[in-house]
Amino acid sequence: MASLPKRIIKETERLVSDPVPGITATPHEDNLRYFQVTIEGPAGSPYENGIFDLELYLPDEYPMEAPKVRFLTKIYHPNIDRLGRICLDILKTNWSPALQIRTVLLSIQALLASPNPNDPLANDVAEDWIKNEQGAKNKAREWTELYAHKKN
Amino acid sequence: MGNTPTKLYPEGPTYNDTEFVNDADILNHKNYKNRSKNVSLANTLLNPNSNSMVGENYTNNTRQKQYSIFNKIDRDKDRKKYVKDREKLKEIHARGLVVKYDECCDGGFLAPFGCYNFDKLDYNIDIVRSLIIERKLAPFYTPLQDFDETWSREEIIKIVDGLPLHATFEENLEEFEDVPIGDLKKPNFDYLVDRSLSKREQRRQHAMIFKARLYRKRLIWQETANESFLEDKVDAKKNKIKNRYLPSDDLKYSLYKNGMECPICFLHIPGPLNYSKCCQQPICTECFVQIKRSEPHFPHEEVDPTKPITDDNSKDPNLLISEPSNCPYCATPNFSITYTPPTNRRTGIGGIPPSDYCEVAQNEIQKQEISGQEKENKETLGSPTSISASASPLSSSSSSSSGNKHKDIIISNIITSDDIRPDWEAKLKKERSRLAKRAANATAIHVSNQLVDPEYSLRQNSNTSSPAKYSVRGTNSKTKRKQLSLEELEEQMIKQAIQLSLEDQEKSKKK
Repeated sequence: MASLPKRIIKETERLVSDPVPGITATPHEDNLRYFQVTIEGPAGSPYENGIFDLELYLPDEYPMEAPKVRFLTKIYHPNIDRLGRICLDILKTNWSPALQIRTVLLSIQALLASPNPNDPLANDVAEDWIKNEQGAKNKAREWTELYAHKKN
Repeated sequence: MGNTPTKLYPEGPTYNDTEFVNDADILNHKNYKNRSKNVSLANTLLNPNSNSMVGENYTNNTRQKQYSIFNKIDRDKDRKKYVKDREKLKEIHARGLVVKYDECCDGGFLAPFGCYNFDKLDYNIDIVRSLIIERKLAPFYTPLQDFDETWSREEIIKIVDGLPLHATFEENLEEFEDVPIGDLKKPNFDYLVDRSLSKREQRRQHAMIFKARLYRKRLIWQETANESFLEDKVDAKKNKIKNRYLPSDDLKYSLYKNGMECPICFLHIPGPLNYSKCCQQPICTECFVQIKRSEPHFPHEEVDPTKPITDDNSKDPNLLISEPSNCPYCATPNFSITYTPPTNRRTGIGGIPPSDYCEVAQNEIQKQEISGQEKENKETLGSPTSISASASPLSSSSSSSSGNKHKDIIISNIITSDDIRPDWEAKLKKERSRLAKRAANATAIHVSNQLVDPEYSLRQNSNTSSPAKYSVRGTNSKTKRKQLSLEELEEQMIKQAIQLSLEDQEKSKKK
């Protein structure tokens, strides 16, 4: 395997030395491009008090290509599908090499706070969200209760 | 074809009116992808030389077969030549990416250190080299992995002395593990391709061998350049012979002492870096040449989840777009940079020999610059022939219009991502015409299928309909069929063929 680019090493070091509140990212021992991530549900959102597991992978072309991120914890959200895939512009067409692991995870946290049902990945959830927002939010809260870790 | 028709015209073609509603139905048939292998008649249709075929001879099965064989040989030849030409260009491109220590500007080089994959270094080499020589773009520097402000002058010089010209190559890539490369000195390697494979597999193998050979060649080229760099360094030290291309200690120190971290690769690069025009953020040249337009794609739309999504395959190829790259820092469209060359050094091509650089002399250099005697500077350090040849590639760039455009940009000192990849427009057009051709091929296949096999459309539709419906149709089809005149179909095919050849001609004219 090719050696790890300096950028990835430095980003990892800085994530440890200057962590983001409510977010953790730990590289895997065998593969330093693979991170185990947790994100706290933002206060005031249906995901509040839940801690969600994610996985993040830095492809060979990183930082010219976006990291691959996926929710491992089941979540009811119009931009996240059953497989945990996330519909977020900066992970696709609006990726910029000036973004980092840190900024990506912060953006995902922000997506939990403000879902965008008009650019959906999970069509059924988005439809629910548009037609009956309160009901959808209640369901999201239920799922958080059911599947996410509890915040102590 | 699923079932090869044994008879071309069983008592004249007949069609089921319920299946065959109108022409648009045939043209928009969705299953064409699965049938793309069946293109022989489509090709005869698409080939302008085969006009006569359409009119008179298409009922003559044997002649048609002969014709398509000749066509095929021609195509094979064309393809081979095309592949060879492309491979040649790729090799020239790869040679241009070798870092040579005697091709230097202000302490940097004309080729990248190798932080990014070779596949991604698809920028126009001639343009970038000349921009660096003209001091419109920062040179490629050898980066430092780390930098510590407390390092002494001696420490910095020692570290810089140990720097290689290029990032290390992986000796044995997994990708090429079992790929034979044969004798690299011989340009022809067709003998390495397994002839027992299918044509398609042979082509794939050929491409793979070419890739593996090129990788090995690049490794050797760079190694040769490295070795001469090392040997000359040792020579200069041992025999105290000044090699004018090797940087003086003053230059090494001044370069890296005044470096900074590029916010994209996080490496320590000698300054000054390039700066984004929109938000004045630094970016090293190695990262800048990575930033390019998105690949051609259909525009992303926000959709109403309650409505069905249109499939990309049914979209108009002309809708394909490729936006100019945005600034990585502030997302301003049309990313462009400016570069102000260092005032304290002008070494290498168009400057003093790097070995002559001393910090005290910087004032003199500044004065020299003011008096604008670039010519004399050039005489001071005769540039290697390869450089002087590529120093004016702007005038030799393929189209005169793009050449002019570059001159304008160079005058204004603003370099956009498109400037170093002027082929983006051609790429977009190519992708559009590829999609259009695919759609046209599919149409031709459907028309030909109706012609030779009247039951084709029936079968196609039955695949998607329920079994119950099928059985009804199967029993009643013969009685329901209505005759569609042969003339009508002929007309349809000729129209198609003419339209396609007109489109093709127009395209080649534009080129």
